[in-house]
Amino acid sequence: MRKKGWSLAVAACMSASLIVSACSNSNPGEAGKSNEGSKPAASSEKVKLVVWIWESAKTGLDLNMDDFKKQYPNIDIEFQLMKSTDLYQKYLVSSNTGDALPDIVALESTNLSQMVQIDSLLDITSRVQPYKDKMNAYKWEDATKDGKIYAMPWDSGPVVMFYRNDIFAKAGLPTDPQEVSQKIRTWEDYYEAAKLIKEKTGVLMYGDSKTNSSNRMFESMMWQRGLWYFDKQGNVTVDSPEVKNVADFLVKMQKEGLVYDARANTDPWGNAIKDGKIATVVGGSWHDAIIETQYSPNDKGKWSVAMMPKWSKDDKYTGANQGGSNMAINKNSKHPEEAWKFIEFMLGKESSQVKMMTKAGLFPALSTAYSDPAINEPSAYFNGQPIRKVYADSLKSTYPLAYGSDFPLANKLMTDVWAQVFLNNAPTDKALKSMADDLRQKTKRK
Amino acid sequence: MRASSWKWQLKFAPYLYISPYFLLFLVFSLYPAFYSVYISFTDWNGSKAKAFIGLENYAALFADSRFWLSLWNSVVIFLLYVPLMLFLALVLASLLNANWMVGKGFFRMALFVPNFVSVVAVSFVFVLIFNTQDGLLNNVLRNIGWIGQPIPWLESPWYARISVALMVLYRWLGYNMLLMLTGLQSIPKDLYEAAYVDGASKVKSFFLITVPLVKRIALFCTVLSTIGTFSLFTEPFILTKGGPLSSTLTPVLMLYSESFEGFHFGYGSAIAVCFFILMMSISFIQMRLFDDKH
Repeated sequence: MRKKGWSLAVAACMSASLIVSACSNSNPGEAGKSNEGSKPAASSEKVKLVVWIWESAKTGLDLNMDDFKKQYPNIDIEFQLMKSTDLYQKYLVSSNTGDALPDIVALESTNLSQMVQIDSLLDITSRVQPYKDKMNAYKWEDATKDGKIYAMPWDSGPVVMFYRNDIFAKAGLPTDPQEVSQKIRTWEDYYEAAKLIKEKTGVLMYGDSKTNSSNRMFESMMWQRGLWYFDKQGNVTVDSPEVKNVADFLVKMQKEGLVYDARANTDPWGNAIKDGKIATVVGGSWHDAIIETQYSPNDKGKWSVAMMPKWSKDDKYTGANQGGSNMAINKNSKHPEEAWKFIEFMLGKESSQVKMMTKAGLFPALSTAYSDPAINEPSAYFNGQPIRKVYADSLKSTYPLAYGSDFPLANKLMTDVWAQVFLNNAPTDKALKSMADDLRQKTKRK
Repeated sequence: MRASSWKWQLKFAPYLYISPYFLLFLVFSLYPAFYSVYISFTDWNGSKAKAFIGLENYAALFADSRFWLSLWNSVVIFLLYVPLMLFLALVLASLLNANWMVGKGFFRMALFVPNFVSVVAVSFVFVLIFNTQDGLLNNVLRNIGWIGQPIPWLESPWYARISVALMVLYRWLGYNMLLMLTGLQSIPKDLYEAAYVDGASKVKSFFLITVPLVKRIALFCTVLSTIGTFSLFTEPFILTKGGPLSSTLTPVLMLYSESFEGFHFGYGSAIAVCFFILMMSISFIQMRLFDDKH
């Protein structure tokens, strides 16, 4: 009897605590309020900032944490690691419940605009004013909505051409970066080189999947010509004749068997790099680490870097961007001042950015960092070449373009265009037209 | 006084004991489900503002060829593996139920292992197996001389569906086998003895006794597999991302990609609601069809 009463009480307590915890779970913002910082933190008070970030980006920040702590002993930073794709979903949910956590989020440029659209980031227009002219111009495009700026640029991914000297030499092509840039100036030259390399060495020019393309090569080629899935007004333009030209070029490369069939940045693709089955990688600067440390550490001295080919010899812009990140503050954060201090320290300070560039392979969007001597440092792996100089040069001629809020969707639909072309033999203009219509209907754009 | 409190306890205590489940169900299942119905009538990108748009999401969904394709894909994948899986499950269960079988415990265990290994981990292994360029499966097939050209397991629509079906087969065979086994064990042994006396062969008694008597279990497996196939997510998500050409897109994969990649939560919720109604109807029809009383 006594026992019964006891267990009843336990059951009651348990269900009560469940209700309480369930409620507090559904509205963590309320729970957070009672803890700390309901009043603005005084300078002597310790403040803790929560930063949501993914592994490779955190590695960069870690390099500067000691200096940061020295300058701001009263700001504690807690990193919460997650995959970047999970980060967007999680942040969306927590910002909707009015949650004050995280204070800071790292955001890739490819998804930035989408995140700006959901109105959950803090307007930092006035704070970024001193940096407006110091950052790569194109970086601001996706951070802006209705003239207000919501994110601070971090790193850029200037697109260059990584190539294998030994394979180039075997095919009778030049290997010196200057000469390569002269010899392979346009995409037509690139195509001729591809044919030559395949004939002389059996090696294919680059890796991309026919039916599961990541579209990165295609997007870089569009970007350097100022073309995109959308135009400046946000209208869908992927069915324009210029875009069709670009697509046709890549279809020609594939159909003539000059391309290794594997999705870029997957293991089969990386193994092809390791086994010397691919002669070039046209991609963002961050590919240097992928080649050097991840897939091909034993090929020291075999790789070099040159500018990416352009569409025609007189094109004004030649470079493109691929990827890159930013940092933003949660609108609900209790400590926006401290959060901005952290962001400014990490991204606005030359010394911090230079450290991340040299030790973590994050090429800064902060262009004043390019005058640092580290830019001209030779890379042991890349044939003693000052590869960062190439990146900086590439950025100088990069077209100011925005990814746009519907980029993730457009990128996804584009993969189907290739599949239509290669599996169903659809003409490129037809496949692009139907994709454009799909995109218009789904995004309610013109 | 004591007696009445005892009575009170007897009456209400059971409800109190089971209340945690129902409270959790209410908060984490029922409320979100109804909220999702509400969202399906709005245009919502995840920010604060939700615009009420009535049935527009549903109209767009019914006009969306990808939605119909996702249902068609599920039917195709279902047909590719369920009949084979049920047959294999029954055969395996019979083997493991046979008196002469040695190492039953080991085989039961081995067949059930895929169920408690993380499906994400398994999917990554299957990505390696199905890899066209230097995957295990193509290498084996090439070495025994069955194929000349590598098979594009994940790059062509039909092979992609087969790959997904194979993976689902691998994952659920053991589970269905176990269900079948319980069914087999409830069949009285004397039926087989009588059949033996009457001169029926092993194969004949399998098809005339075993198969009809595990029909109900088979129905249960089929209903579960139907729901399972339409709600497939992890396998196609990791193997193919729904591609190529949306050939392995399932309704739940589409729901996820519309909601959490495209931030079109209203549209995603409309998919969820349609999906729910569809699954209820299919299960109901299946129950009716297989029910002996009707």
